[in-house]
Amino acid sequence: MLIYTVKRFFEMIIVFFLFLIISYLLFNAIPGNAFSSLLLNPLLPPETYQRTIELFGLDKPLFERVQLYIINFFKGDFGYSYIYYPRSPIEVIAERLPRTLMLFSIVNVIAFYSGFLVGKVLAWRRGSKSETWITIGSVFSYTVFYPWFALMMLWFFGYKMNWFPLGKFLVPEKWYDSPYSSDEIFYTLILFTTIGSFLLFLVFIFTRNIESLENRRNARIVGLLFLLVLASIYWSNGEASLKRFYAADIAFHMILPTFTVTLVAFAGTALLTRTTMMEVLKDDYILTARAKGLSQKRIRDRHAARTALLPVVTSFIFTIITIIDGSVLTESIFSWPGMGQLILEAVTREDIPLAMASFSFIGILALIAHFIADVSYAFLDPRIRVKADS
Amino acid sequence: MENENFDRDIKATIKKNWRLFKQSRLGMTGLGIVVFFGFLSILQPLLFLTGIWDEGIYHPVVGYDAEKVGRTIVECPTQYPTKEYQQEGDCPRVDEVNIRYLKAFNIEGEVGEIYESNVQPAPPSSRHILGTDSLGRDIFSQIMEGSQVAFVLGLISAIIGVGISTLLGTAAAFYGGVLDTYLMRQSDLVLMLPTLPFLFIISAFAELQIWHLAVVLGTIGGLGGSVITVKSQALQVKVKPFVDSARITGGSKRRIMFSHILPNVAPLALLFMVFSVTGAIASESVLSFLGLLNIDMSWGIMIYLAQAEGFIFTGLKYWWLILPAGLSVTLLAGGFYLVGRGLDDVFNPRLRRR
Repeated sequence: MLIYTVKRFFEMIIVFFLFLIISYLLFNAIPGNAFSSLLLNPLLPPETYQRTIELFGLDKPLFERVQLYIINFFKGDFGYSYIYYPRSPIEVIAERLPRTLMLFSIVNVIAFYSGFLVGKVLAWRRGSKSETWITIGSVFSYTVFYPWFALMMLWFFGYKMNWFPLGKFLVPEKWYDSPYSSDEIFYTLILFTTIGSFLLFLVFIFTRNIESLENRRNARIVGLLFLLVLASIYWSNGEASLKRFYAADIAFHMILPTFTVTLVAFAGTALLTRTTMMEVLKDDYILTARAKGLSQKRIRDRHAARTALLPVVTSFIFTIITIIDGSVLTESIFSWPGMGQLILEAVTREDIPLAMASFSFIGILALIAHFIADVSYAFLDPRIRVKADS
Repeated sequence: MENENFDRDIKATIKKNWRLFKQSRLGMTGLGIVVFFGFLSILQPLLFLTGIWDEGIYHPVVGYDAEKVGRTIVECPTQYPTKEYQQEGDCPRVDEVNIRYLKAFNIEGEVGEIYESNVQPAPPSSRHILGTDSLGRDIFSQIMEGSQVAFVLGLISAIIGVGISTLLGTAAAFYGGVLDTYLMRQSDLVLMLPTLPFLFIISAFAELQIWHLAVVLGTIGGLGGSVITVKSQALQVKVKPFVDSARITGGSKRRIMFSHILPNVAPLALLFMVFSVTGAIASESVLSFLGLLNIDMSWGIMIYLAQAEGFIFTGLKYWWLILPAGLSVTLLAGGFYLVGRGLDDVFNPRLRRR
C-alpha cells in the first residue's frame, strides 16, 4: 500500500510537471503578447515596446523562458502579473478565490443535498405520475442551455420582478462611507458561514443515531432553530452589528446566482442518485429488510440510500475540480468578480504569469481531489476498507 | 450456415432490445425529439432544392425579406401607468407604432390608422413561421441550420470520443502495466486542464470551424474521464470465465481483445456516445454564445445576437428571438439524454422494473 502511494505520488509530480509545460506552450502559442497594444500607441516612442518586453523577459527564447518559469515555480516565485502589475499572481488569486469558493461551495452543498433527497424519492416512487414529472423537470434543468437560462433568470427576477440586483458584487453607493473594506466584510461572512455549516453538520452527526425517525427529525429542527437564534445574537452584538449592513448587501447579491446555479446543478445529482438507488433496490438485503417487516421509510433511508450515496460522493468530489472551470460562465453573466473572470481576463489579455498561476492552482486542486476521492471511497465503503486492512 | 445464424442472432437481439426500449416512455419521447430535429435539419436543403423556399429570402445567413407589416398608429401617453400600458417600455407594442416617430420622418398618418412598412425583427406571420431577426433573416430557417450544425458536431465528436475511449480503455484494462499507468496519467492530465479556458486558447490561435471543434471536443472527451470508466467496465469483463476459456483454447491476445472483450464493452460505449452528444451540443452553443467560433449560424449564435443587440431584457416582447433558439438547444440535448436513459434501461438489467 505504501509503495503504491509513493509510486502514485511520483507519477502525480510528473503529471504536474507536464501540465505546467503544456500550459506554458499553449499560452505562448496565442499570437502577439500582452504588450502588443503598446505598439499601437502613437505617443510612445518605438523603443518603449522593446524595453518593456526585455524588462519582463519576453524577448528570451521560448525554451529558456519555460525553463526559467518552472525553476522559479518550484522555488515559489510566480513572477508579477502583467495586468495588475505591481502585484504578484498569488495576491490577485488570494483576493478572487474566496469569492468563487464561497459562492460555489454553498451552491454545491445545497445542490448535492437536495439532489440526493429528490433522487431518493424518484427511485422509490418509480412508475408513478409524480416521478415522470419530476424526471422531466430534472432532465430539463440538467440539459438546459445554461447561459440562456441564467440570462432568463436574470431578466425575470432581476429586471421584470426587480427582486434581486442585476449581478455585481455590491452596490457602491452603500459603501462610500464604509469603515470596512469589502474583503474584510466578505471574510467575516465566510467565517460565519463556515462555522454555521460546521455546527449544522455537527447537529446532523449527533442526531443520526437516534433510532426513531420522528424524534430525529424533531431533534434536527430544534438544533436548526437553536443555530438561527445563535446567528441572530451574533449579528446584533458588538462589532458584527456594525458590519451587518454591509454583509447583508453582499449576501443579497449572492442570492440570485446561488439560486440559478443550484437549479442547474441539483438535477445531475438527482438523476445520478436515482440510477444508483434503483440498482441498490434490486439487491438481496433490501428484500431481507422488507421480509423483516421494517417500515418503507426506514428501508429507503437507512438501507438503500446509504449505499446509493457512494457514487454521489465521488461525483461531489469531482465537481470540486470543475468549480473554477464552471464559474467562468456564471461569473461573466452575473458580473461576479471571482476566479472565473480572472482566468478569462488572464487568457484573453495574455497575462502569462497570472494565467499560469491560476491554471496550476486548478491542476493542484484536481490532483488533490483525485486523491481525496480514493481515500473517501475507502472510508465510506466498508468493503474496500476491509480489503485494504487485510 | 454459421454466418446466417449469426445474422439471425443479431436481428433477434436488436428486436428484443427495441421491445425493451419501447417500454420506457421517456426514452421514446427523447427519440421523438431527436427524430423531429433530424427531420428539420434534412427539410431545409430539400425546401431549397425543390424551390419552395427562395434562397434569397429564406437563407439563414444572407437571406433578407422586406416584408410589409401593418401596424396601428397610436399616440403614446406622457405619463404612466395608464389603462393600456403599465410602464414606458410597453408603448408602442410590437404591432403598434408611435405617431411621434412618423412625424419625425414627415410621414402622413392619423391615430388609429394602419401604417405599413418594413419592420425588422418582424413578428411571426404565415410567410415566416417564427418571424425574422433584426437583419430580416428567417428564424425558422436559422433553427433548421442550427440543428444541422448540432447534429454534425454532436455526432462527429461523440463518435471520435467514444472510439478513442473504448479502444484505449479496453487496451488499458487488457494489457495493464506501463500502458495502463500511462493512459491513466494521461487522462489525469486532460482532466486537469480547465475545458472552457482551454477552448478559449485554442480559438485564439486557430480559426475554429465546426469539424475542428468536433475533433477537439471528441479528443478531450475521449482522453479524459471516460477512459477510466470504460477501463473499469473492461476489467470486470476481463475476469469472466469466457475470457479464460478463450485464452486456454489458444485465442491470440488481439482476438480476445477485439472479439471477446470489446463487444461486451460496446453497450456502455454506445451509452457514452449518446450522453456525450448532449455535452457536445452544449459546448458548441456556449462557445458560439461567447463568439469564439468561426461559423455562420448556430443556435448559440442566435442567442448571442439576441443578447448583443439587447433583446434579452425586452423579455417576451420579442420572444421569437430568444425562446426558439434556447429551447432548441435544451430540447435536443434533453432528447439525446432521454434516449441515453432508455438505452440504459435496456443494457443494465438491474435498472429494469422486473
